[in-house]
Amino acid sequence: MTTSLLVLIVLALGVGGYIVGRARALRGVGGDQRKLHSLPSYYGTNVAMKAIVPALLVMLVWLLAQPLVVESSVRGDLQEESVRQDRSVSLMMSDVRRLANGLDVAVESGMMTRERAANMRTEFTDVRERLGEAGVALGSAVTSPVLRAAQKYRALSETGDLLRTGIVLALAVAGLGWGIRNSTPEYRARNVVETGVRILLILASCIAILTTVGIVLSLVFNTIEFFRIYPASDFFFSTTWSPSFGGGSELGILPLLWGTLYISLIALIVAVPVGLFTAIYLSEYASKRVRSVAKPAIEILAGIPTIVYGLFALLTIGPLLLSVFGDSTVGWMDAGTAVMTAGIAMGIMLIPFVSSLSDDIINAVPQAMRDGSYGLGATQSETIKQVILPAALPGIVGAVLLAASRAIGETMIVVLGAGAAARLSLNPFEAMTTVTAKIVSQLTGDSDFGSPEALVAFALGMTLFVVTLGLNVLALYIVRKYREQYE
Amino acid sequence: MYDADHNRTESRVSQNEIKISSRNVQVYYGDNHAIKDVDVDIEDRLVTAFIGPSGCGKSTFLRCLNRMNDTIPICRVEGDIHIDGEDIYDKRVDPVQLRAKVGMVFQKPNPFPKSIYDNVAYGPKIHGLAKNKSELDDIVERALKRAAIWDEVKDRLDASGTGLSGGQQQRLCIARAVATEPEVLLMDEPCSALDPIATGQVEELIDELKQNYSVVIVTHSMQQAARVSQKTAFFHLGNLVEYGETEKIFTNPQDSRTESYITGRIG
Repeated sequence: MTTSLLVLIVLALGVGGYIVGRARALRGVGGDQRKLHSLPSYYGTNVAMKAIVPALLVMLVWLLAQPLVVESSVRGDLQEESVRQDRSVSLMMSDVRRLANGLDVAVESGMMTRERAANMRTEFTDVRERLGEAGVALGSAVTSPVLRAAQKYRALSETGDLLRTGIVLALAVAGLGWGIRNSTPEYRARNVVETGVRILLILASCIAILTTVGIVLSLVFNTIEFFRIYPASDFFFSTTWSPSFGGGSELGILPLLWGTLYISLIALIVAVPVGLFTAIYLSEYASKRVRSVAKPAIEILAGIPTIVYGLFALLTIGPLLLSVFGDSTVGWMDAGTAVMTAGIAMGIMLIPFVSSLSDDIINAVPQAMRDGSYGLGATQSETIKQVILPAALPGIVGAVLLAASRAIGETMIVVLGAGAAARLSLNPFEAMTTVTAKIVSQLTGDSDFGSPEALVAFALGMTLFVVTLGLNVLALYIVRKYREQYE
Repeated sequence: MYDADHNRTESRVSQNEIKISSRNVQVYYGDNHAIKDVDVDIEDRLVTAFIGPSGCGKSTFLRCLNRMNDTIPICRVEGDIHIDGEDIYDKRVDPVQLRAKVGMVFQKPNPFPKSIYDNVAYGPKIHGLAKNKSELDDIVERALKRAAIWDEVKDRLDASGTGLSGGQQQRLCIARAVATEPEVLLMDEPCSALDPIATGQVEELIDELKQNYSVVIVTHSMQQAARVSQKTAFFHLGNLVEYGETEKIFTNPQDSRTESYITGRIG
């Protein structure tokens, strides 16, 4: 039985259980639903829940666990064979899997009976040729141990599938029976459903949290691996970044970190004043009509893909800066790609972030504050400067820090706008590069995954993660610490 | 309370000069005609109370007196309002200057999220009333003393104004308003968010403030109007129904609507 059919059957049992449970509860009180503890639909939901949830949960776990169990069992058999053939077990395992799949296809298409697939021997049949006729291409001739392992693999999987189907169905039926038995008028079905809903919500949030933990762990293990083959002190304190895939590379993070911070700083210098002033205009001065047009228009900026900003930097901002600061005038700039180019493009990208968040925060300052200030004879700009901005400051700082962590994590604009040279320099018209851009270039080459040149990407990613996490925590802390002031 | 009675008799004897006079005032919120034909003369150096059921327009009319309604885009004011003989809706009048002269205290205490000192110093600073720091210190101290809160806060002027209790906050707001040396003080239900003790303190304060200012107070509590005011105006559905000596309004109202309201039959 296929998995999808099994799921359908369990769901059908659940639906049936809903109808039966509801009807049984109503029958228990002679159709007068006021005498029930809960509404009839709760009794139905209770039965459906008990039929569906345990069965599907067990199925899910089984589906995840079965391949692991089968593989480890087959792998044990292949151990001595691999020593004899001097091939790694994992390579042989992939042969086994491919062969097992091929046999499945052959049986399904009717080229082979099940018995023949299970009892074939390499001594009597050219397996490769037979499977070729069935449309399954195998790389090399099949050896006897591999065929035997593949046959065992199939047998184990088949038993597992059968057992799984049986157990899942049994669980569904048992849950159904339990639920229906419970459907008496005194049973507190409403409370049970409430608990079910709570567990569902908890599970959803657990998945979100566990995924984050998983991401961090995958970074951590590879980072540890990197520091095992490359000294941490060199990574953190060396001022040279020159990876060479032939070995002997210097992988100092400082130039990259400097590039990241420098570009982010310029981006913030562009984005914070423009964004903040926009927010002040929109929330305090603009009429309703202007606001209803201007706010969405600004937020369109946030929807533009960053690669488009990158192109804008490359094609427009770079040449423009070059014509102003290039060799023909003051001669500070040699090429269009520079810290300044990427910083300005990134700043434009961040404007809607700052303005939208600040706008919400300024609007949250109570009207009573404004009234109080106007009532004392203050003008609008005095009120904004002396009352509204101080009251909104923690939120604005939070918005700026969030924008900063966006800037630090930005990649595409840097790749296109800032160049690729890792350099420690103060001149904003020189090309530099950032941590994120280098992560991309280290992992997209065809280098050995175990080499420090590739693994350094994880250490870079980890460093970046820690920096942005720190910024976010700081932002949350500031927002929380000062928020209650005017509430 | 003896003092209050004493003052009241006095003020009746010596007719005060008219501080604010309004003629034929109409206020519209969009299409809604909120204030209709209000004529009233508010005297200097006494307390005038505006009473009436919710939505009768008393707060709206109060907000006309310092042009706070200008900050509401859909609000439109017609008619004449003169303060000291000067038309405050004249084009040449700067509403910002006007509001420095006509202070306002709001229903809910609304101290700024600043220190107590900065709350009071805010008005004097923006109007340039102090030449230097020590003068500003004097102004702040005087305002806090006049608002009868100096003794409670003199040791913590740097503490946040929002950390005070409700009654203290409202007195801080009054201190903030008197620090700019206004001539008229408008109070929009200043005690509705306060407990009886804090209310008592604020009422006492209002009674003292009338030595220097013309005070206009909007209130829902008729007892409060009777306690603190010398003149009372009763508003109903946007009309000024009756205006006169507080004692007369409460003991011998001329209009049947006033009588119904003060005896609790409408409202």
